[in-house]
Amino acid sequence: MTSRRIDDAVRRVLDGGRLGPADALVLYTDLSTNELGQLADAVRAARHPDRIVTYIIDRNVNYTNVCVARCNFCAFYREVGATDGYVLGFDEIFAKIDETIAVGGMQLLLQGGHNPDLPLAWYEDLFRAVKTRHPDFKLHALSPPEVIHLSRLSQLPARTVIDRLVAAGLDSIPGGGAEILVDRVRKHLNCYGKATATEWIDVMRHAHEAGLRTTATMMYGTVERPDERIEHLLRLRELQDETGGFTAFITWSFQPSNTELGGVGATGVEYLRTLALARLVLDNFDNLQASWVTQGGKVGQLSLAYGANDMGSVMIEENVVRSAGAAYCMDEVEIVRNIEDAGFVPKRRDMQYKTLGDPVFRERQVPRMTALATARDAGDTSVPVELDRYPARSLAGKRRQSA
Amino acid sequence: MTDASWFEAVGDKLRDGVSLSESEIAVLSETRDLVRLGALADERRRRLRGDRATFVRVAEATTTDAVEVGVPRQAGELRLAGCPATDSLLLQSVREAARIAGDVPVSGFALDELVDLCRRDVARFDDLVAALRTEGLAYIAEARVERTEDPAWVARASAAGVPVARWTVCDQAADGNSALQRVARWGGDAAVPALAPLSRTLSEKPSTGYEDVRRVALARLLVDNIDSIQVDWRRYGPQLAQVALTFGADDIDGVSPGDSEEHGTRRSTLGEITRNIRAACLVPVERDGRFRTLRTHHQ
Repeated sequence: MTSRRIDDAVRRVLDGGRLGPADALVLYTDLSTNELGQLADAVRAARHPDRIVTYIIDRNVNYTNVCVARCNFCAFYREVGATDGYVLGFDEIFAKIDETIAVGGMQLLLQGGHNPDLPLAWYEDLFRAVKTRHPDFKLHALSPPEVIHLSRLSQLPARTVIDRLVAAGLDSIPGGGAEILVDRVRKHLNCYGKATATEWIDVMRHAHEAGLRTTATMMYGTVERPDERIEHLLRLRELQDETGGFTAFITWSFQPSNTELGGVGATGVEYLRTLALARLVLDNFDNLQASWVTQGGKVGQLSLAYGANDMGSVMIEENVVRSAGAAYCMDEVEIVRNIEDAGFVPKRRDMQYKTLGDPVFRERQVPRMTALATARDAGDTSVPVELDRYPARSLAGKRRQSA
Repeated sequence: MTDASWFEAVGDKLRDGVSLSESEIAVLSETRDLVRLGALADERRRRLRGDRATFVRVAEATTTDAVEVGVPRQAGELRLAGCPATDSLLLQSVREAARIAGDVPVSGFALDELVDLCRRDVARFDDLVAALRTEGLAYIAEARVERTEDPAWVARASAAGVPVARWTVCDQAADGNSALQRVARWGGDAAVPALAPLSRTLSEKPSTGYEDVRRVALARLLVDNIDSIQVDWRRYGPQLAQVALTFGADDIDGVSPGDSEEHGTRRSTLGEITRNIRAACLVPVERDGRFRTLRTHHQ
């Protein structure tokens, strides 16, 4: 019986049909890893017959680690008033942008904690300042839960928050904070409060309607069941049918070290199977990224055989996954080497997945990078002067401002 | 041309026990269709080894610090690294290692090191290996393919009472296929239980994931006279070692014997290795350094 159901589901994929939840589940749980990979690779090849694999040079900057959301799977956040909590100053962010441009980058992926002392005006001022200095530099910033946090903080509708951020210079929204878009799971992960599944989807809908393109993500490997991973994918597919606003999908596994939730991480084979399944279910997504930052360079490269057509970002800096124990690094030279070794053609892209050209290091000399930078040097507890321009909401922030 | 039908034809040949041609091997070595290559190797692995994946927990020590380091009770093998400069120091290191190892099999050394130590004198080699056996050496840890000019030394070691545990490919930059094909030619005479096809030495330019699993798959497909294709857990990490199990490998070597349960049993080394094997849809079977089954880790 199972064998026939597998055959039917495989046939449906090969015929270009759409997988329903039952088909997807039987492929995910019962098809061998090699067969699942072959199917995903066939779908990837049909969608990207030119054998181009893209990547982006950008920097992953976390502007603050202070967060009131308290998700139990997160090793990065610090509570309000914590001695090792930080907010980056505008000048620090400008310096990071300059460094990014120096190695051929043209975008910041800017995300951070839900810091009650950073009002909407702080983001607007930052975005305007960045665009004044570098009009063509892109801001891929503020995942849906951050937008919701700002909506609550400012008592403005999420749609208005997005409009104001776009007016200040926001170019696109990253798909972070999706975790698993099933409220049962979100309650277990203590992230239901920061955004329900429907709220996350709604922010993305607003963003797409405002003309922004966004990415979509899935963090698996906590408390969810296989059918809930599939429900997550189906919700994304449904919104993509409606708006067409997602440029790409990225999945990664929960990194348990130093988190309140703890436990163990999912394995490499589970990652490749999940990626392959996503390629089959998300039949209206053009691009799937490899998550080398969580899986390491080798499994990251193998992702290209299991449905991925993009090696993600050179990243330059990373703080969140590192907090949970993973500290992989690949600079542009290494990413290109991995793409070519797998038999693909590397091309730089922007966030819209528009091809920008060949590798920068083949056009001019750029410094090699052997480790990802961090938000700040250890022990740096400085507080940016411009924070005093914004009224603090937290008791700790008010005390700091009155001192 | 490497479409699905080409792979099916190659699969049929392998199932029928027909050797692959040079041109077919060349195509497999260069194929971009990595997952189909893996599927061929996986099918062959399952036919030969079923759904078992073995692993061994290895305590590693140098010939001078084995006594100091000791042998954790979970170890299935004590492996000595390095090779003393004289016969007497060599025998002494094995004697001391065997004393602290108790029932745990002791392995060590590379075959070419012992051959060099004996200045290629056959009689001296036989005597040395016999003495090593008397002192408690269960296996010579490796025969390095690139440094083995004559496989007869492997057979001599076995005849003298200490067989070689595995063929290893030590040079990453070397032509891996050439090494595999040499092993395939030698394997029948030499009776070595395992082949570790991934490089044992670090290189300035690390291998890629594609290179690694392709090498593993080719080892399974080209070398049909050796039971186990091994991947080293410590050198290659849990992620790559696990994926290699779906590309023809069937044995995980070098698992750490340290098994602190400070963070719970699921996060212990044993929990991690068994979870990884099960997640690759295989049954974890723990073995010792003599390739004897110690325990099947049922769910």
